[in-house]
Amino acid sequence: MSNTKCETVREWIPDYVSGRPGGLDAALLESHLKACDECSAEVGLARLIFESPVDAPDGLARRVREAVRYDRASDSRPWWGVSAAAVAALALGIGISSDNPAQIEISVPAYAYESEAGDLWLSDDGLIAGAPVLDGLTDEALLQLLDELDVGGAGGAA
Amino acid sequence: MKDDERSDAIPSDEEMVERGRAGDDGALSALVERHHAAAYRVAFSMLRDSDAAQDVVQDSFIKAFRALEGFRGDSSFRTWVLTIVGNEARGALRRRGRRRETALEDAGPVPSEQKAPDAEVVDAQEAERARRMMESLPEKQKLSVALRIEEGLSFKEIGEIIGSSEGAARVNYFHGIRRLRELMQ
Repeated sequence: MSNTKCETVREWIPDYVSGRPGGLDAALLESHLKACDECSAEVGLARLIFESPVDAPDGLARRVREAVRYDRASDSRPWWGVSAAAVAALALGIGISSDNPAQIEISVPAYAYESEAGDLWLSDDGLIAGAPVLDGLTDEALLQLLDELDVGGAGGAA
Repeated sequence: MKDDERSDAIPSDEEMVERGRAGDDGALSALVERHHAAAYRVAFSMLRDSDAAQDVVQDSFIKAFRALEGFRGDSSFRTWVLTIVGNEARGALRRRGRRRETALEDAGPVPSEQKAPDAEVVDAQEAERARRMMESLPEKQKLSVALRIEEGLSFKEIGEIIGSSEGAARVNYFHGIRRLRELMQ
């Protein structure tokens, strides 16, 4: 038997059977195997295991990729959309709670008027479009609501 | 193709992780392509149920990518994702309320089936027999043998995945191999 100890050889048998670079020179290992039935038997077993791996089902990679894509898409919700809605709600809220609504000026492009004459969202009527929910809220409470609505931005950064 | 049969021209996992962090979905898909088979083998070896193993693989990649920002690179991406797979599979086992792990003492040797003359058929039968024997090993021994031989992981990496020290992973591997050899005789 070669001088290489069985313990050393057995450590690197998995790399030897798989052709991966191991920590023991292949020639040295083969020299040992020629003289050692125990280690040779272990090589045979390791080779059986390595050469008959459990195959992943067809389509698994695609399924996982799609699930990941879906998860990321749902996780990165268009935060700006939610924020815009919150800003609109905030603007409405400020308008409603103001003592003098006439002082609040919202700049609206002309095409908006053209497409939606008498636009309800630009009304200062607090009973329109769910605005009563905001009635009576302080500015601080409205800002907190804005933070809570802006979940998409926080999730995207996680 | 085995995971490590890649040419140098292909970006490393670390590069893919960086790209993924920057929002490159293609990089994440490449990581899935590289490691889903190993992930499946780990999950299947623990669960012995293909559907459940596929669910675990899917959930594991989703969790890994959600936590990509927190991945510090202390271990390789593969070790990290396989650790998540191991944890997910253990969770699935707990939820099922049963363990497939069979006591070694109860397993006993699996009788060798009548061999066909064709050498390849004989090899296939022996390989199938070895697989069945592996299933009878305790979970940590089974995983240590599979991860060392099939995936080429170091004992340190195996220890991280099975929740043991490097030394314990080594002991589990050699005990598993010794027991397999006894069962195969």
